[in-house]
Amino acid sequence: MDIKDLKTLIKMITETDITEFELETNGEKVRIQRGRPAEAVSYALPQPVAVAQPVALPVSAPAQEKPAATAVSAEAEKSQTITSPIVGTMYRAPAPDAPPFVEVGQTVEKGQILCIVEAMKLMNEIEAEYRCRIVRICKENAQPVEYGEALFLVEPL
Amino acid sequence: MREPVTPDPGSGKTPIEQRMVELFRAEEGKVFSGEELGNALKVSRTAVWKHVNKLRARGYGIESVPARGYRFLTAPDTLTATELSTGLRTGRIGRRIVSADETDSTNLLAFRLAEKGAEDGVVVIADSQTGGRGRLGRRWESPGGVNLYCSVILRPAMPPVRAPQLTFLSAVAVARAVESVTPLCPRIKWPNDILVNGLKIAGLLNEMSSETDTIHFVVLGIGVNLNMKKEQFPEGLRYPASSLMLESGACVNRVEFTRALLTALDTLYEDYLEHGFASARNEWLRRSMVQGRRVRVSSGDEATEGIVGGIDDDGALLLQRGDGVSERVLAGDVTILDDLHP
Repeated sequence: MDIKDLKTLIKMITETDITEFELETNGEKVRIQRGRPAEAVSYALPQPVAVAQPVALPVSAPAQEKPAATAVSAEAEKSQTITSPIVGTMYRAPAPDAPPFVEVGQTVEKGQILCIVEAMKLMNEIEAEYRCRIVRICKENAQPVEYGEALFLVEPL
Repeated sequence: MREPVTPDPGSGKTPIEQRMVELFRAEEGKVFSGEELGNALKVSRTAVWKHVNKLRARGYGIESVPARGYRFLTAPDTLTATELSTGLRTGRIGRRIVSADETDSTNLLAFRLAEKGAEDGVVVIADSQTGGRGRLGRRWESPGGVNLYCSVILRPAMPPVRAPQLTFLSAVAVARAVESVTPLCPRIKWPNDILVNGLKIAGLLNEMSSETDTIHFVVLGIGVNLNMKKEQFPEGLRYPASSLMLESGACVNRVEFTRALLTALDTLYEDYLEHGFASARNEWLRRSMVQGRRVRVSSGDEATEGIVGGIDDDGALLLQRGDGVSERVLAGDVTILDDLHP
């Protein structure tokens, strides 16, 4: 899929009420999420290539004019969401008495652990897939999270 | 920290100790006096005592019989790669075994190896752990010579959402191994505690490295209390714990247990990759003995009660509540309520 197709796709989707869209063909995967909290488009190839990071395209989602949405969208403009790959419980620290892995405003390196999501005694360490700054932590410690739910809002650096 | 060496089981054993073991084994159950051993080995009684202690330090069970001498109880049972691999007929799990005398934690070591590319099925085993741990940084007591501490690296080609199912596979594998080498009847407590006579005998902690849609690898951490003695258990445990030896009254051969475990896991994993979760789930349900039972699940201050209808694909416990509403429980501590009046 080239950039033109991608644009067409985004245009098509923004004309509907769909807030989340995923397409997988020939090993390519496109995921478009819009609405809250961040407008993000991710386009990933199975191989690690230069564009493997979610590409922040300036998606012109139809402005769902909602009051108080301005602050969020300003924040979300350069931001990406990091979502939970499993249904589980989010832990912000490795142990109850340990300091949290990350705090808002902190710059984290690629590969750094951001939190743990536990499901059925399987601990999933969520790592930063790129260097970024933590803009918002979307969940409290020890709270349940759904699959695909936002854990962090980050600003890629 | 001594990093993964794969010690040759024969090395480091002085001829005197080797010969002492042979003497003991030639007449099993016999009490040998220090003098008798000394004469046969051509060493002093003090030297005999020293060598006996060296053997004990390596995990040999040699009993001191007051005023009579020494009795050999348990065979050398070293969890080395060479020892374990002999006669192990698995397809994937344990085709490569990395063994260490001591490590911080087999899960951490497995994680490091996996990050360097260790393949699907690599098994990491340590005789003792200096930083054995459980959920949320809790300590897992890991003395040498008595238990099993192992971690298995898996690289299943599936999305991370399915990975929690592997928790049930490892629980079933441990239960099968317990059943195959002891007369005990293990029960699985949701999701993966292994109980014998109501006491916890194993700790399973799984860790995953993944991206949104891809599993890089999963490490199944399996710690089983095999021959741990009462005094080796720390004070103030969260759950009452025991070892297979304490419950069965007989020492468990660690090598035999480990082979049984890896074999069980191999069979389950092969079946899982080929046919999915169904058969592991069914066996888990049978071994958990919760199906159709009335249970209470407590989590913090909250508790739910209901009849267990099974587990779903996420591993969630499906409860039919008294008011007819069905509920899906993702975390909590399960107590069987109709246990006393089956």
